[in-house]
Amino acid sequence: MKKNELIAILLVILSTIGTVLAIFAIEKFRRNKFYTVELLARAPNNGNWYPRRFTLPYGKEAKILIRNIETVSHGFALPDFNVAVNEIKAGEVVVVKFTPDKRGIFPFMCTVWCSDEHLHMTGEITVE
Amino acid sequence: MLILIFVPSSFAQEQFFQIKAKKFSYTPNIIKVNKGDVVRFRLVSEDVHHGLFLDGYGISTSAYPGQEGALKFVADKTGRFSFRCSHTCGEFHPYMVGYLYVSPNYLFWAGTFIILLLGFGSFIITMSKTQKKEGLKLFGIIPLNWQLELTRFKLIRNLLKSRWFPLIPIIINLFIFTVILFAGFVGGWGSGNYNFGVMIVWILWWVLLMLFMVPLIGRFWCMICPFPLLGEWIQRGKLIAVGRQKSWGLSKKWPNKWKNLWPLVILFWITTWFSGFFTVRPFATFILLGAIILLAIIASIIYEKRTFCITMCPVSGFMGLYSNFSLCSVRRKDPEICRKHIPKTCVVGNEKGYGCPWMELPFDMNRNTYCGLCLECFKACPYDNMGFFVSPFGRHLFVERRKTDDIYNRRSTDEAFKGLTMLGIFLSFFLAFQGPYGHLKDMVRATSLSGYLSYIGESFCIDFLLIPVVFLLFTFLSWKVSKNKEVKFKEVFVNFAYILVPVGLAIWAAFSIGIILPNGSYLLHIVSDPFAWGWNLFGTANFPWTPVFTGIMPYIQVLLVVIGLMFALDFGGKFSQQTYASMDEAKKSWIPILIYLVGLHIFFLKLFTG
Repeated sequence: MKKNELIAILLVILSTIGTVLAIFAIEKFRRNKFYTVELLARAPNNGNWYPRRFTLPYGKEAKILIRNIETVSHGFALPDFNVAVNEIKAGEVVVVKFTPDKRGIFPFMCTVWCSDEHLHMTGEITVE
Repeated sequence: MLILIFVPSSFAQEQFFQIKAKKFSYTPNIIKVNKGDVVRFRLVSEDVHHGLFLDGYGISTSAYPGQEGALKFVADKTGRFSFRCSHTCGEFHPYMVGYLYVSPNYLFWAGTFIILLLGFGSFIITMSKTQKKEGLKLFGIIPLNWQLELTRFKLIRNLLKSRWFPLIPIIINLFIFTVILFAGFVGGWGSGNYNFGVMIVWILWWVLLMLFMVPLIGRFWCMICPFPLLGEWIQRGKLIAVGRQKSWGLSKKWPNKWKNLWPLVILFWITTWFSGFFTVRPFATFILLGAIILLAIIASIIYEKRTFCITMCPVSGFMGLYSNFSLCSVRRKDPEICRKHIPKTCVVGNEKGYGCPWMELPFDMNRNTYCGLCLECFKACPYDNMGFFVSPFGRHLFVERRKTDDIYNRRSTDEAFKGLTMLGIFLSFFLAFQGPYGHLKDMVRATSLSGYLSYIGESFCIDFLLIPVVFLLFTFLSWKVSKNKEVKFKEVFVNFAYILVPVGLAIWAAFSIGIILPNGSYLLHIVSDPFAWGWNLFGTANFPWTPVFTGIMPYIQVLLVVIGLMFALDFGGKFSQQTYASMDEAKKSWIPILIYLVGLHIFFLKLFTG
């Protein structure tokens, strides 16, 4: 009976705390391994792009994980590097890959009419 | 996307509609055409990217602001079809609906005809009966006292007697709910239709509950529910083993006056106020579930046993009431063994099992309302005298008031009101979530405080005034025409209220069909990407929103409404005979209720298809 009790307690801990820890571990591994930056897409009155400004190393392939955490569609365009995603639907996650071959500060913006403040949904990438 | 179907017809009329889409409704929201018409839609968006998917026809278009969508089709299918938004446009996106009527509406008229026919048939059958029959039969065919003891099979008996059951399903559920809570927490205020928590709870769980669990196994959910696990662990000090029977908590007694469904009638109604948040916002689902879990733990520490489940869990009320309709039940097998057996271990417990956590008397149970199927009595009974039975639908609804003051084993006003309010809550839900009325959706999602308060006010008027008063009037009429003054009016009201159990189950099942068929495909997405982090566990993360069987959906809903009516008609006549001593009084008293049922079901048919 003592043994059963221990097994049961272990199962309960595994299914609760264990699950949460496992989810965190998998996600941390996945992000570090596969992506350079995580970019959140939000309408300007709701927080705008986050981070709005970030730095990428020159000449090394960048993988940007863009997550639309809102309830409307957004888009992504980085004209200087010819990178664009036409539509990122609500809840959707896309990965943008490119190699920064120019140095400087480059703007990126939303390309889908997401709210009245849509035109202010912009950010900057610095390549060093 | 432009779909062109051109069929020349001499009578065909070309109909053109410009539909404006704005969060979260269409203008016009109701469109009427005739069969054979060539219909052209122009979809114009006034705010964000909206879509239009037409049920039954399976065609769709979409529009960005400044870029319209178009649709052209021949209205060759008749009936009422919902058109719904096909591009996530905001939190209420899954509820953005409009109606297209293609007349003549054969389904509605055929359904009305069937309902009238059933009502009339039931009337003829009732009138032709001359004397009460011994032994009740469901639809005059299946004897209600027929039963099959599942525990007769050794495998099932051993399973139910094992302490690992239902603990293992509970732990699996605990895992699922941990993921649900986590998804709700990290999902924030984003879109619910791509969140594991929102989708599993409000699309899968609710639908499984109303379509399968409750009608077939009654309180099956209570058997495997993970919410009381932590509280019960604290009370017992043991998870699986049987320690001392006395709780480690304060073990206070819940006041007897409130040991009924009244707290749950109120609590479930209050919970529905927030349905416009927790069915669409991940974090709101997290708050709701978190609050329930916290309440379960606190209540378990303060009060004795499963007081939380009996008097505080919002969904316990309708599950308890409706479980009396279900196929399954836990009962003692041989009353003689129980009579001689002292002390009654199913109540006080022993070293193999705990005394009934639901504070039932398993040795003397004849209804299901307060039996949570926790199976402790199977473990505690040294004579293997507990049985798990399968019996015909509705059998336990026929258990009459007993002379004992046992509050559990009787028909009562609180249960009657639970049945009535469930109809009202269904009506509010249907109009808000499956109806085409944008202003109602704005009220439910609280765009303005006054709108939100008037929604709560309206819901109060429907649930606690309109529906009960209409029912009260018909039962009063029934009581008057019977001319029997010895039977109390309250008894007539309460007895007849139990016809609303199959009715309620049927319309909630029909409502659930309206959730799962259009939106079930989201489930494929969220199992692969539960937190909207870009995971793809099973390779189905990019499965698009695909409504299925939307063409036959109204037919299934009509069928369910009709089935509910058949049970209600069958049960109602029997309740009437239970209430009145003479057949003549029973017949007279039944007629007003029969008219009420027919009217009510034509109204439901109107909601679903007309």
